[in-house]
Formats: sequence, structure tokens, C-alpha cells
Amino acid sequence: MQSVGLLARALEAAGIATTMTSWMAGRMGAIKPPRATLTQLGAGMTLGHPGDAAQQRRVIQATLDLLAQPAPVPVVRIDER
Amino acid sequence: MDAFSQRTEWQAQYDAWIDAMRATGSVDWKRYPTARFEATPASPGVVLADASLLLVSSAGGYLPTTQAAFDASHVLGDYSIRRIPLTTPLSEYAYAHEHYAHDARSADPQVLMPVAHLLDLQDAGVIGEVASEVVSYMGYQPDVGRIIDETIPAIVAVAQALRVQAAFLVPS
Repeated sequence: MQSVGLLARALEAAGIATTMTSWMAGRMGAIKPPRATLTQLGAGMTLGHPGDAAQQRRVIQATLDLLAQPAPVPVVRIDER
Repeated sequence: MDAFSQRTEWQAQYDAWIDAMRATGSVDWKRYPTARFEATPASPGVVLADASLLLVSSAGGYLPTTQAAFDASHVLGDYSIRRIPLTTPLSEYAYAHEHYAHDARSADPQVLMPVAHLLDLQDAGVIGEVASEVVSYMGYQPDVGRIIDETIPAIVAVAQALRVQAAFLVPS
């Protein structure tokens, strides 16, 4: 998560809008990425449970939706676990 | 990248953490100095339906027939990247990353590598275009200095070469 957050900040500085999702609230608060959703999923299943395509799509869509907004966007908590 | 103003202080803390690891022979993650920022710079959004979107995954994916595996067992990480053609079937990926359980990814790679989901969104017009390559790296990278000096410039260069306007980043 730390490297991804740093990368998000760098891409954004290069003019490329970024969005990401994670379950690591502490790291998210430290890195402050430009746009992010926060779930209660876990390591190894960032986008949802295996075989649950509907959940994966919800997480992806909620995260991609943030790209429409100028950064910084406050971290959006989504109820996925 | 935008300035990491605390880099000098972070480096000193990291060097001390490394020294302790070498002295004790064990890794004390409770003392690891996480990079911290006070704020996030302002930047514009994009209209995703008109944009080219790059998928970046830190799950350690690579193509075993043509690419070297990441050095997943290295205690100080691997800072290289792999570029994977978007059209590569997910069944052809292998993964080298020792810091997450692979059960879920083995059962359904889209939990970390959502290529098919993104292509569905492209077909539906939600995403203008998914970039022709996926960028992959192994996200166990404790050395922030090397992330900034090695991994990030390599990925930014790919993003610029592919002329993307947006990126979807998926940590593992």
C-alpha cells in the first residue's frame, strides 16, 4: 500500500489522474493518496472475494468513480468486507 | 513525484531500522518508519469515458515464459517492474510475492488483477480505453528511497509512453 500510494502521488504530479482502493486505513492516512476507497477486505483480495464478481465490480466502480473529481478527494469508505 | 519533504528524516530512521535488523537478525515491523505526508496536492479529475486507463498491480504478477520472477524472498524487496500485454490471458500469469496469502488470487485472479472487469467496462463505454499494457510489480518494498528513485520513474515512463490520462492502482 505504501508504494502504491507514493506512486499515486507521483503519477498525479505527472498529470495522470489516479485512483486506488485498499483496506489499510493506517497507511492510507499516512500517505494521503489523491483518490481512494477504503474497504474492510484484506490482503490478497483487495477487490473482493474470489468468485464474487458482483462485489469486485462494486469495488472497482466505486473506486473508478472518484476519477471524475478533482483531487484531493477525502478517502471514501465503502461497506465491502 | 511531488516532494517528499521528510525524505532525509525518513532515511535516517530507515537506516536505523536496517541497522537494528542486522544487529538482531530479525525484522521489527513495529519500528518500521512509514512514509508520511501532511497533505495531498490539488489536481484535476478526468472524464473516464474519454480517457485511457492504465492498470497497475502490486501483486507480483509476471509472465514466466518471458520474464524473470520478482525477488520475492529478498528481505529488502524488489523494485523492478514488468510490462504485461493487456491481451495476455490471466492463466498465463505467475506471481512472486511472499507477503500475502495467494489462496484468493489462485481461485480468482481478478481479486487482484481485474483485467476482464476493466475490459467489460471499456465495452460498456464506462472507460474510454484500457491501456494496452498492465504494469506489475511486487509491492513488498520497504525502501521508500528506492521506490522514489527506481520504481516510480519506471512506471511514470510507461504511463507517459502509453499516453494514458488515468491510472487504477491495485495494491495486494
